[in-house]
Amino acid sequence: MAIEGAAARPAVSASVGRSARRDLLALLNRWGWVKVLLFLVPACLLLTFYLVIPIAMLIVMSFYRSTLFGVVPDFSWNNYLHFWRNPMFPNLLLRSIRLAVTVTAISLLVSYPFAYFLARGTRRFRTTLLILVMVPFWTSYLIRTMSWLPILGIKGVVNYSLMTLQIVSNPVEVFLFNQFSVVLTLIHIYLPYMVVPIYLSLDRLDGRLLEAASDLGANPLRTFWHVTLPLSLPGVVGGIVMVFIAAFGAYVTPKLLGGSSGIMFGNVLADQYSGTFNWPFGAVLALIMIAVVLGLLVVASRFTRLDAVFGARA
Amino acid sequence: MDSSSDFDLEFRNVTKLFGDVRAVDEATFQVRRGEFLSLLGPSGCGKTTSLRMIAGFERPTSGEIFLDGRPVGATPPYRRNVNTVFQHYALFPHKTVLDNVAFGLRMKRRPPAQIAERVDRMLALVELPGVGRRFPHQLSGGQQQRVALARALINEPTVLLLDEPLGALDLKVRRRMQQELKRIHREVGVTFVYVTHDQEEALTMSDRIAVMNHGRIEQLDTPAGVYERPATRFVAGFIGLTNLLRGVVEGRNDRDVVVRLASGARLRAETADGRAPGAEVDVAIRPEKIQMTAVRPAAADNCLEGQVGSFVYQGAATEYQIALADGQAVRVIVQNIGETWRAAVIPVGTRVYLCWSRGAALILSDVGPRRDPAEDDEPAPERVAWR
Repeated sequence: MAIEGAAARPAVSASVGRSARRDLLALLNRWGWVKVLLFLVPACLLLTFYLVIPIAMLIVMSFYRSTLFGVVPDFSWNNYLHFWRNPMFPNLLLRSIRLAVTVTAISLLVSYPFAYFLARGTRRFRTTLLILVMVPFWTSYLIRTMSWLPILGIKGVVNYSLMTLQIVSNPVEVFLFNQFSVVLTLIHIYLPYMVVPIYLSLDRLDGRLLEAASDLGANPLRTFWHVTLPLSLPGVVGGIVMVFIAAFGAYVTPKLLGGSSGIMFGNVLADQYSGTFNWPFGAVLALIMIAVVLGLLVVASRFTRLDAVFGARA
Repeated sequence: MDSSSDFDLEFRNVTKLFGDVRAVDEATFQVRRGEFLSLLGPSGCGKTTSLRMIAGFERPTSGEIFLDGRPVGATPPYRRNVNTVFQHYALFPHKTVLDNVAFGLRMKRRPPAQIAERVDRMLALVELPGVGRRFPHQLSGGQQQRVALARALINEPTVLLLDEPLGALDLKVRRRMQQELKRIHREVGVTFVYVTHDQEEALTMSDRIAVMNHGRIEQLDTPAGVYERPATRFVAGFIGLTNLLRGVVEGRNDRDVVVRLASGARLRAETADGRAPGAEVDVAIRPEKIQMTAVRPAAADNCLEGQVGSFVYQGAATEYQIALADGQAVRVIVQNIGETWRAAVIPVGTRVYLCWSRGAALILSDVGPRRDPAEDDEPAPERVAWR
């Protein structure tokens, strides 16, 4: 019916060209989804080529066989079995998860008070502090990683200070090339991912709600627990998800600063593509990584609405 | 026993400065137990600041506020037995209606069974049973306002503070909520301090009204008191429509004084305080208290001659703009009480006499600046919807 009506109108109208355009607009208005679709086309194309197709290829590839002469199409579960049969791979996975959890947890503990101060404390230094948080973003990832070498190294700033203060007599080697330096550096690199979402959710928090809580008998601590914290949860979850994903996949920093303990799940994964050229097994590792991240998102969705985390809902 | 304990709330010389701005200036008043007091005034008059000082969100720069006979000093909001209904409700968006209403009692660590029972009772009081599981954003504005009311009242506050609670609602819902608030006030008997800029709301709901302007309380009286006997030009202009006639005191006899207008016409009006002859005064007369006749009545206290300049027919009444001989304009409201077949209005240009009795006009305590006669309604009175 609607189509008939729209099509019939140009016939009775005098200026056909203009009314045809008006009819198209009317059609768009009537069929809201057509408009919606037009807006979504670019994003859909992007997602198709950069997400759907590559992941589909990963899944297909994970069943292929790697031979001396290259990758052969097949349908075998061998790559998956290979992962479970060799304890090194699950152990590496756990290790990467542990690293990501540590980095995320410490980032959260550091970021929340800082973001709280930014959003609800003094306005005076807000811009300055925000810029200071963002500045590391403007330098390359590698430089940010390498910058820790002259700080933590044997002849680094920390050792120099300790020796000058005569706290130690010989340079301390425990700062660099171990888990500590990796965790420290990853926190440094990914802190903005934690600070900014928490800051935004706290900044958006309606101050009148805090007054209402106080009015209803909640002291500052209980106001925080019952109102501020729950309402900043979208930011917290957003920060956790982003830092976890980034730290979980990190392999450059562990390689450069991790020393003998620097091999992570990500390193092995990268090796399958650039070193041993076992793409099918690399696909399995990549899919496992995706599965872990999806699992995290499922857990996150139990704590807060994900559309609130990613800003779809105020 | 302190004499102030008869009052739930008392302001003694309370002043609040924001920088150089005197938000509240030497406010002194008392609120009786169970009273419905409105703080009425235009925006920026200090009414909300007064409320926030009672709640504890702001502290007076000087002076003292007494709650229940005791000075509150620096007591933080969460230790004051007052609760606020906020202008935009400020319901916790992440909590259900039930958890919102229960919040205050949970903070007081009351037993859960008692909390549940009182939440039910409160939701029944505000006529919202069965919405406990919903979230605030699933309710209409009027419903959210009821939840906010229940959330505040459940704590049985000494004083309930209402900060323009109906401001965000549309007219129809607002009228109904006014009735509701009055009913709830009667039922719970708690002292209400109600902030509004809506004079009609203040007139219909309050036991007493404190009219505020520039941080000062211009008048504190019953609704009839502030309407019938406005103390200042501001009150006369802010509440209802009023005519101000400028004149000079000529003399007085016991209760009233004789004022001579620029045109030479003499008026007799009541005054509370004596004015020396020769003083300039403003005489206030409400438009509906003026009798308009075609012939000069034989006996009348005050009579002015004028000409119909314009009129607005409003159905139940007609509002006339009458030009006096000296150029001043006077508004007259005439109830359309005549027979239906007669012409309802008096045509423009008709010569008329405006008369009123001695007690209908007042001499205001303050005098406005000299004014241009062409400027007919100064200070700009808020237009009222006459019903």
